[in-house]
Amino acid sequence: MGALGDWVWSILLAGGGVALTLYGVRERMDPERSVRRAVAAVVGVGGSLALGWGALVDEKLRGTAAGVIVAIVVSGVLFVGANRWFDQAEARWRRFGALTGGVIGFAVTGVLVGNRLLAWKPVPELDLTPWLVPLGTVAGAVCGLVLTGLTERRARLVAGLGFGVGYGVLAGLFIRPDIFPAMKIVPLLAWPVVGALVFGALAAGRRRQVLRAAILGATVGWVIGAWLVPALGTGTRAEAMSGATFLSLGSMLWITSAPPRTAEAQRRLAERSRPVIFLAPALVFIGATLVIPTIRTLYLSFLGPRGEVFVGLANYVDIFTDQEIVKLEKWPQIFTSALFYWGVGLTLLGIVAGRIRGRRTGRTFEPSGGSITPIAVGVFLFVWAVFAYLRGTIFNNLWWVFTVTIVSTAAGLAIAVLADRARYESVAKSMIFMPMAISFVGAGIIWRFMYIARPPTKDQTGVLNAIWVGLGRLSNSGTPRLVTAAVLVAVVAGLVWMAWRGWRGGAGGVVAGAATAILGVVWILYRLLGPGLGGFEIGPNGEVIADTILFIQETPFNNVWLMVVLIWIQTGFTMVIFSAAIKAVPAELIEASKVDGATEAQTFWRVTVPQIAPTIGVVVTTLIVLVMKVFDIVKVMTNGNFDTQVLANEMWQRAFTEFNFGLGSALAVLLFVSVLPIMYLNIRRMQKETVR
Amino acid sequence: MTATAETRPVRAVAEPPIGWRLYRLLRAIPTWVLWGLVVVWSIPTVGLLVNSFRDRDAQRTSGWWVGFVEPGSFTLQNYRDVLGSGPTGGLWDALLNSFAIAIPATVIPIAIAAFAAYAFAWIEFRGREWLFIGTVSLLAIPLQVALIPLLQLYSGGAQWTIPFVDKTLRLFPDLDLAGSVTAVWLTHTGFALPFAIFLLHNYIAGLPRDVFESALIDGADHFKIFWRLVVPLSIPVLAAFAIFQFLWTWNDYLVALTMIGGNREALPATVAIASLAGEFALRENLLTAGAFVQTVVPIAVFFALQRYFVRGILAGSVKG
Repeated sequence: MGALGDWVWSILLAGGGVALTLYGVRERMDPERSVRRAVAAVVGVGGSLALGWGALVDEKLRGTAAGVIVAIVVSGVLFVGANRWFDQAEARWRRFGALTGGVIGFAVTGVLVGNRLLAWKPVPELDLTPWLVPLGTVAGAVCGLVLTGLTERRARLVAGLGFGVGYGVLAGLFIRPDIFPAMKIVPLLAWPVVGALVFGALAAGRRRQVLRAAILGATVGWVIGAWLVPALGTGTRAEAMSGATFLSLGSMLWITSAPPRTAEAQRRLAERSRPVIFLAPALVFIGATLVIPTIRTLYLSFLGPRGEVFVGLANYVDIFTDQEIVKLEKWPQIFTSALFYWGVGLTLLGIVAGRIRGRRTGRTFEPSGGSITPIAVGVFLFVWAVFAYLRGTIFNNLWWVFTVTIVSTAAGLAIAVLADRARYESVAKSMIFMPMAISFVGAGIIWRFMYIARPPTKDQTGVLNAIWVGLGRLSNSGTPRLVTAAVLVAVVAGLVWMAWRGWRGGAGGVVAGAATAILGVVWILYRLLGPGLGGFEIGPNGEVIADTILFIQETPFNNVWLMVVLIWIQTGFTMVIFSAAIKAVPAELIEASKVDGATEAQTFWRVTVPQIAPTIGVVVTTLIVLVMKVFDIVKVMTNGNFDTQVLANEMWQRAFTEFNFGLGSALAVLLFVSVLPIMYLNIRRMQKETVR
Repeated sequence: MTATAETRPVRAVAEPPIGWRLYRLLRAIPTWVLWGLVVVWSIPTVGLLVNSFRDRDAQRTSGWWVGFVEPGSFTLQNYRDVLGSGPTGGLWDALLNSFAIAIPATVIPIAIAAFAAYAFAWIEFRGREWLFIGTVSLLAIPLQVALIPLLQLYSGGAQWTIPFVDKTLRLFPDLDLAGSVTAVWLTHTGFALPFAIFLLHNYIAGLPRDVFESALIDGADHFKIFWRLVVPLSIPVLAAFAIFQFLWTWNDYLVALTMIGGNREALPATVAIASLAGEFALRENLLTAGAFVQTVVPIAVFFALQRYFVRGILAGSVKG
C-alpha cells in the first residue's frame, strides 16, 4: 500500500466517520445507537488521522496503525455479521438460505483452492484460480436461495439432484490433473456400501431417519473409496469428474432429503445459533492457541529433535539423567551446612516451647506464637539447606516456587496488616504495588544495577555492595566505629527499657519483640567490635581491601538474589489482595474478640487468618503457577549460567537455540504436569462455586 | 482512619504522660515501618531513574546517590542515544512495535471474551457449566506447552496427514507470520482468553437478573441485550481487564522473543532492552534509559488507572 492509497483510505474512513457522527447526532432519540455511531466515528476519524499522520511521519507508524485498525475492524465485522446472518433465520428465511449457501460455497471452494485441488487456467499464462472462490460463493448462494424457496418434497429432491450433478461436473472441470484419482473398483464400491450400512444401522439404533443416514454414510464412504484410498495424479479427468459428481450429489441429496423447516424450527435455529456465535470466536482461539498446541506438544515430546522419528520416552529419560537437570552429588553437604543446623535447632526449640506450654494446658503440644514461629522458620531454613545442595534445574525450580511463594505471601500479609494501622496507607500501598507494573525484564535490569559489583579498588556503584563494603570500612575505622557502637548501645538500652515496661504492663508481645531485637543488635555490636562487619579483607600490609559480594555469580545463593527480584514484584500483588480481604473481615468479629479480652496477636491469628484463609489459598496457588514458569528474570540476569537454570529457560534453550523440539516439548510437558494439581484444585473450587 | 486516630489518644489521657507518649510512639511504629519498607521498595527504581540521567563515566565510577551531591552531571544524552536512529538507538521503533502488539492484543480479547462470558452467564445451552469450567481451567496452563506448535503453525501453516491413506490436508495456510507482530498478538489473544472469560464472567453473571428479564419481555434478542445492557453495565470490569491485559502484553518477553526471533524490525521494547542487557557492560549506560523508557508506559497506565487495575486483580482472585 503506497502513501497515496493510505490517503484515499484515510479520506474514506474519515468521511464515513463524520457521516456516521452526523447521523448519530441527528438521531438523538436513541442514545444507545448514537453511542455506537460515535464509537464508529471515533474509530473512523481517529484511524484515518493516525493513518494520514503516519503516512506523513513514517512508514513504520503507518503500517502499525493500519494493522491495528484492520485487525480490530475485521473482527468486529465478523461478529456483527454472524449475528445479523442468523437474525435472518427467523424473519427472512430465504435471505438466510442464500447467505448460508454463500458461506458454505465460500468455505468449500476456499478449502479446495487453498489445498491446491482446483485450478483455473484458461490459457497457460493466465491463472484465474482465486476467482473460483467468489464463483463458488455465488453458486452456493443461488442453491441456498432456490432450496429455501421449495417446500414440496419432490421438488426439493429434484433440485438437490440437479444442483448435485451440476456442481460435481462443474468442479470436475477445475480439478487439477495432479490429483486425478486412479480408482479401483473394489474400494470404490465397498466403502460407500460399508458407510451406508454403518450410518444406517447407527440411525436405526437411535430411531432417526435411516435413509438419510445411509445417504450420508454412502457419501462419506465415497470420499474414502474415491479420493483417499486410490493413488492421486495417475487417473483420468473422467475419474475425477465422477469422483466429484457423486460426492456433490450425495451431499446435496442429504441436504434436500430433510423436510423443509417449519417456522418454529426456523425460530429455534436462530435461537440455538446464539451460544455458538457468542462462543465460537473464543473457543476457536483457545482451541488453536492452547488446546491443540498442548496436545501436539505432548505428541512432539515422544519424537526426536526434529520431530521425525519416534523415540518413546527417551526425551523424558534424558531429562532425568541429564547431569545439569538433576544434580544430586552434593547431598552429603546438606548435613554439614549451617542452614541445616539452624533449621533443626529452631524446629526443636519450637517443639520444646510448645511442649512446655502444653504442660500448663494439659496437651502434648500447644500451638502458639512462641512455638509455631520457630518451627516455621526452622522448617524454612531446613528446606533451604536441602535446596542449596540438591542442585540442577528441577530442584532449583522447586526452590524458586518454595521461597517466592512463602516469602511473598508472608510479606504481603505482613505489609497488609501493617498498612491497615498506618497513616497514608493508600499512598504507601501503591508505592509497594508499583513494581507489578514493571516488566520482569525491566525488573531484572533494575536489580542488576542493585547487585552490580565493581573491582575492589573502585567505588561500588550498586547499592547493596556499597552498603556491604561501607560496613566493612566502618568496622575498620577509628572514631566512626566507636560512635556507631555507642549508638547501638543506646538502642539496646532503649529496647531493654521497653522490654521492662512491657514486662511490668504484662504485654508479652512487647517483651518477646524487644528481646529478639536486643539479640539482633547485640550480635551486630559484637561483629562490629570483634571480628568485623561487612565486606573487607586485610591486605598484606594491614590495609583494608573491599571484599564485594558477587550477587549474580556466587552459587548457590545467587538464586536467592534472583528470587528477590520476583518477590519484589509479587509482594505488591499479595499485599493488595490481603489488604482487601482483611478489610472485608466483619468488624463485629474483631470487636467481639477484643471484648473477650484477646490481644492483637490472638485476634489476628484466631479471627482474621481463618477468615481470610480462602484468599490465602487462592494467592498461594496463583503464585505457585506463576513461579513455576519463571523465565524472564533468569533469562535476562544470568541466562541460566552460574547454576541458576530453571525449567522454563531450559525448555526455551533446548527448543529455540538448540532446536531440539523433542526435548523442549518434553520439558514443557514436565512444566505442564507440575501445575496439574493446581489446575485440579482450581476446578474443584469452581465446581463448588457454581453449585453455590 | 482519621476518626480512630483522634479518639485513641483521648482514651490514653488518663494514663501518666510518659505512658501516653510511649503509647503514641508505639502507635506510630506501623507507619514508620511501612514507610521504611516503601523506601526500601522504591530504592531500585529510583536508582535506575537517577542513573539514566547520568553519563557513562558517572555511572561507572560512582553510585547513583552521588548524583544528588553533584547535580551538575545530569544529562539527557542516554535518552537521545537510545531513542535516536544511530547504531545504539532503535528503541523508538521497538516502542511502536510494543504498541502494535499491545493494542490489538488488548482490544480483541476483550471483545471475544465479553461475548463468551455473556454466553456462559446468560444463554442457556447444554453442557454450559462443563464447557465453562473446561475453558477457565486452562488459566493455569504454562504458555510453554504451546510455544513450539504455535511457532511451527506461524512459520509453516498446519497440515494433517490422514492416517492409513497417506494423504495430506492443509488445515491452516502458511501465512509466514513468524517474525511479525501479528504472530505475537494472535498468540496473546488466545492465551488471554481463559483469564478474560473468567474475570468477565464473574462480573457479568452477577448483574441483576430482572434487567435481563424485562429486556426479554420487551422482545430484545441476545445480541441487543449484549450491546445495550451488558456492555454499558460492564464498563468497569472491561476497563479492569483492559489495563491488566495491556500491562501483561506490553511487559511480555517470552512470547515476543519466541515468535519474533531474530527479526530486528519487529522487536518490541522488552526484547530490545533485554538484548541490550545481553551485551553486558558494553552499553550499560544506555540500558538505564532504555529500561526506564520501556517501564514508563506501564507505570503511567498503572498510576492513572490503579483503581481499575486493583479491581481486576481482586475480581480475579478473591471471590465474594
